[in-house]
Amino acid sequence: MNLTTEIEFLVGAEKRLTDVLDEAQTQPLLNSAVKAGVGFAAIVDDRGVPLWSLGTHQPLPIPVEEDWDATCRLLLEGEPVGAVCLIRGQVSSKGCGIMAHLIAEALNSIINNNLKRMLTTEIHTRVVNQSYDELLESNRRLTESEKKYRDLAETLERRVQERSGELKRAYARLIQQEKMASVGQLAAGVAHEINNPISYILSNLNMLRRYLGKMASMLEHYRELHASAGSEKWQELKLDMVLGDAGELLDQNVSGAEKIIQIVSDLKGFSHVDDMGESAVDINLEIDRTLGVLSREIPGDARIVKEYGDLPTFEGNAAQLCQVVLNLLRNAFQARPRGLQLVITTEHKGENIRIRFSDNGPGVPDDIRNRIFEPFFTTRDVGQGTGLGLTVAYDIVTGYGGTIEVENRRQGGAVFLVQLPVTGGTHGQLR
Amino acid sequence: MIEYDECEKRMVLKLVYYGPALSGKTTNLLQLHDLLQPEGRGDLMVLDTKDDRTIFFDLLPFFLMAPSGLRIKLKVYTVPGQVKHDATRKAVLQRADGVAFIADSQRSEITNNFNSFQNLEKNLGFVGLDIEHIPLVVQFNKRDLGGIVAEEEVRRVWNPSGIPVFMSSALHGTGVLETFVQLADRTYEHIDSRYGLAGNHGLDKHMFLSQLVRRRSDYS
Repeated sequence: MNLTTEIEFLVGAEKRLTDVLDEAQTQPLLNSAVKAGVGFAAIVDDRGVPLWSLGTHQPLPIPVEEDWDATCRLLLEGEPVGAVCLIRGQVSSKGCGIMAHLIAEALNSIINNNLKRMLTTEIHTRVVNQSYDELLESNRRLTESEKKYRDLAETLERRVQERSGELKRAYARLIQQEKMASVGQLAAGVAHEINNPISYILSNLNMLRRYLGKMASMLEHYRELHASAGSEKWQELKLDMVLGDAGELLDQNVSGAEKIIQIVSDLKGFSHVDDMGESAVDINLEIDRTLGVLSREIPGDARIVKEYGDLPTFEGNAAQLCQVVLNLLRNAFQARPRGLQLVITTEHKGENIRIRFSDNGPGVPDDIRNRIFEPFFTTRDVGQGTGLGLTVAYDIVTGYGGTIEVENRRQGGAVFLVQLPVTGGTHGQLR
Repeated sequence: MIEYDECEKRMVLKLVYYGPALSGKTTNLLQLHDLLQPEGRGDLMVLDTKDDRTIFFDLLPFFLMAPSGLRIKLKVYTVPGQVKHDATRKAVLQRADGVAFIADSQRSEITNNFNSFQNLEKNLGFVGLDIEHIPLVVQFNKRDLGGIVAEEEVRRVWNPSGIPVFMSSALHGTGVLETFVQLADRTYEHIDSRYGLAGNHGLDKHMFLSQLVRRRSDYS
């Protein structure tokens, strides 16, 4: 409601004689006067200009006061606004005065009634209009709020879904973080405990091999000196075979111990228990480390091709990055237990580091491609997968401002492409 | 102000008697009409009423003339007090130059007075006027009745506001002229500061008030 429509009419606005009187109301009175013998009858405004007139003795267009034989004032709200003026004609001077008075009385009464009617009608109209405007306005507000509520109702379901999705993700992250923390602690503890014994086992094994060599040469020496006496016993104890096999056994033990040391080191590196914060990460190295940790899970006949490019260091949390790689590798291993061919490519392109895992598995069916990053979504049998691996990978990567996408290769198999911004480390906290 | 026409030398002012239902607004105008000479004023026009309750408004016009030839018409209106006629109150309040708030002194009417005053404040805002600046006087009517709020209490409440308060019994004609004169006085001050009534038109406050308020007793 603006103010201009408000002031269509103003209570108290000044009115003129022509506003409250018209010809239809004056004519009968003037007519009667003329019929009664008045020479000329007129109603003039406050300047003396005739508004309505009748008769034969017409004065000048703008008559002066002396032209009239009788005049009587007309009042509007108590103010003179005009007059009834007569030229007497055949009527007596006194009769003319009485007639002017009568006509003025009648007109004043009409004016008063008209004014009252106008004022009440005007204010009534105004009140009705204003009420109507107010109704329109309140109707508009109602419509608006109804729309708001309808929108709310419509979006409620979607928003509930969004929220529950968020909750699921948060829950998944929590589980994963807990798991990572306990795995990390366990790994660190185990690594620490194993490190010492395996170190002296390895060094002792090496010593033992040297000692065994010495003992073997001592045995050979004795055999040469007492060939006849010891020969039978030598044969009985199958010392030729024993000596040959002992060296081999020790070699195997040494390489086994070395492998244990490597695994422990990988485990320690992978869990990154020592640095949970951000640092400059060599992504190629982390991929190798993760492959090391997973060595037992890699299917025996799998062929893994690494095509590493030169990468800048990535500012971020190495443990998180290993987690991404681990989850994607596991996904590939589980996708094709036999005859897996996995190509891991890394490259530095523009502002991004790209890591591509390209397998020859069954690929990702179109109808679930949108869902594989959802928490607890899994195609594996119960107990096989948590449905969290790809979710966690997704969350970590997007947390760094990166993207993770999946595509099917034309020749079969899936390609997971991870893109991480080189500068992403600054906001690399897990959301 | 309803109208100011410099060429026509004409100024039309509006005063409004506001207040809760049955507080005596129309009675105030009736008394003004009876207490003042017919000269310089018109007749009281009472628009349709229903059971003696104002539905539209009442109007009492006054006519003044400044030495400069400026004709001033001062229209005094009442509003309908009943809550349901709010739209009419807004309409009447439009372009008011001064407001007399007629309160009912009876204790039982305290809430109604309060609500009506709040309504006045709201509606003034609605028509673009400010209760802080518009000339305003308050009249506590019906002092002749029992069960009324004591004068000291009224004054204690109202004095801090700086708004002049009058005790009246409109039915018996007491306090009516005082209220009107004070309202006219304040309105004159307000108009004079903007339109130079004294400076440009030679109409000082004394002249203004004496033209407006011509008691019958002075005349006889």
